[in-house]
Amino acid sequence: MPVSEASFETVAISDLDGMTADERDALPYGVVGFDADTIVKIYNATEARMSGLDPSTVFGVPFFDAVGQCMNNFMVAQRFEDEAEVDDIIPYVLTLRMRPTKVRLRLLANQDVLHRYILIER
Amino acid sequence: MSEKSSEEQLLEFLYACPVGLLECDLAGEIAMMNPHAMQHLLPLAGPRDASNLFAAFEQHAPELRSLVAAYKPALGKICDGHRIFVDLGSGRRKQAPQVLACTMVKLGIDRLMVTLSDISQQVVQEERLRQADTWFATLLDGVNEYAALSITPDGHIASANPCFTRQTGHDYVAVIGHKLSDVLHSDTSGGDLRLEEQVEIAQRDGWHLQEGWQQRRDGERYWCQRLVVARADSASASPSGYSVVLRDVPRREAAAEDMRRLLTCDHLTGASNRRHFSEAMEREQAHWRELRHSLALVVLDLDHFKAVNDTYGHPIGDMLLCHVAQACAALLPPRGIFARLGGEEFGALLPRFDLDQALNLAEEMRAAVAELSIDTTMGKLSATASLGCATLGEADGSIDALIALADRRLYAAKRSGRNQVHQPQACAA
Repeated sequence: MPVSEASFETVAISDLDGMTADERDALPYGVVGFDADTIVKIYNATEARMSGLDPSTVFGVPFFDAVGQCMNNFMVAQRFEDEAEVDDIIPYVLTLRMRPTKVRLRLLANQDVLHRYILIER
Repeated sequence: MSEKSSEEQLLEFLYACPVGLLECDLAGEIAMMNPHAMQHLLPLAGPRDASNLFAAFEQHAPELRSLVAAYKPALGKICDGHRIFVDLGSGRRKQAPQVLACTMVKLGIDRLMVTLSDISQQVVQEERLRQADTWFATLLDGVNEYAALSITPDGHIASANPCFTRQTGHDYVAVIGHKLSDVLHSDTSGGDLRLEEQVEIAQRDGWHLQEGWQQRRDGERYWCQRLVVARADSASASPSGYSVVLRDVPRREAAAEDMRRLLTCDHLTGASNRRHFSEAMEREQAHWRELRHSLALVVLDLDHFKAVNDTYGHPIGDMLLCHVAQACAALLPPRGIFARLGGEEFGALLPRFDLDQALNLAEEMRAAVAELSIDTTMGKLSATASLGCATLGEADGSIDALIALADRRLYAAKRSGRNQVHQPQACAA
């Protein structure tokens, strides 16, 4: 699947998981992928630009404790704990570079895919 | 690996900080905030604007706005560890933080630094310590000045010590064989437990302690701590009798009273705060569950209050809120609690009230609000309110359902034209 067709609203979690790091870096929205323990495994270049963080410092840390604390509540983090399958788009406010920033989040989880994903569209 | 820039290091530090930090202007508009602050703010904001501190807290801590407005010095600490109770009726008790501590510092003419942290665990521990304190104080304080009795399982006095005479005026020998509940006169009009009810709980839990007004033989009232403890024989499963300890607790000192007011009252209106209301509601819920005491809730919301603030300004809006709180609190029964639940929303908790009694009181409150008149530079300001009532019985004992039901009825009153108490019977037809 060409990366240009992998839009924020429609990209499938399996396609996202199958992409190379370069393909994910080329997406126009932020992509964060983490495992069942919330340890960050995927952090694309778009997200790194928005957050101002170097991906190398984000890999391996627990996402909701060290980077995405603003999502550590029932609206986001709790949903990954409660629901085995999620595919939902919600309006949200992040604190990118400590500025309140309105975004849309797409939450993706599927039992057949190892990583859970949060897509961030500014 | 690339060398990290100092900006990256700083961002990393702020992203990971386990305390909420934010900077805003005196109107609450947030310039910068870290993720931890947003973690708490966004769920509380609901449909309101999460990028304004006061808007986000309008429901749970409307006092933040008035604390800032009332702070006159150019610089300094406005509040330190101010507690915000956010659990009331959220329906998400398990995962959501329940108590936030908020510190606000004024750094310039239009600049505030604010910290927010979740102190729920700390508050739970304090609560346990307070209970233990009361318990030990009862056992250890003033060893010579407590009346001790033993009663049989059906409540007859088996023995009493001489202090019983000093405290209550009844002869401690002559009362033996009488029912203790006939001898003691307690004021239970407002929701205090009767002795039999305490015995019932002690039979199950081993003990029960309550504070309330008690009457001496000559009619004088005194504040009494009454402890009932079950006595068990190893042979039998049910208690062989009960020990009762009565303590005459002197009037609270002024300083303690000030502290109590600070902890339980809304900063602006002097009505109870959400925390006190929430605690009282849980206590009364326990009484409902164990003893089937009825409990009613009245919620009151001022009509078109936003227009008052927009037209007359916040100081006049605040004055109106104070008048409403005074007028309604004056109508309360002895153990009723009137609290400010959010911006212009108030609640009255009414132990041992059924729905009809609550509806009558709500109507009195509606009339009292409609009679208010405040002189302003723009002429007389009057107000009206819409009200909804519900009982814990109707909500099957759930506090969340009770609040939701009363709220639904309040909004039914709004839809039917405001300035009224919603009548549930009429709605069911």
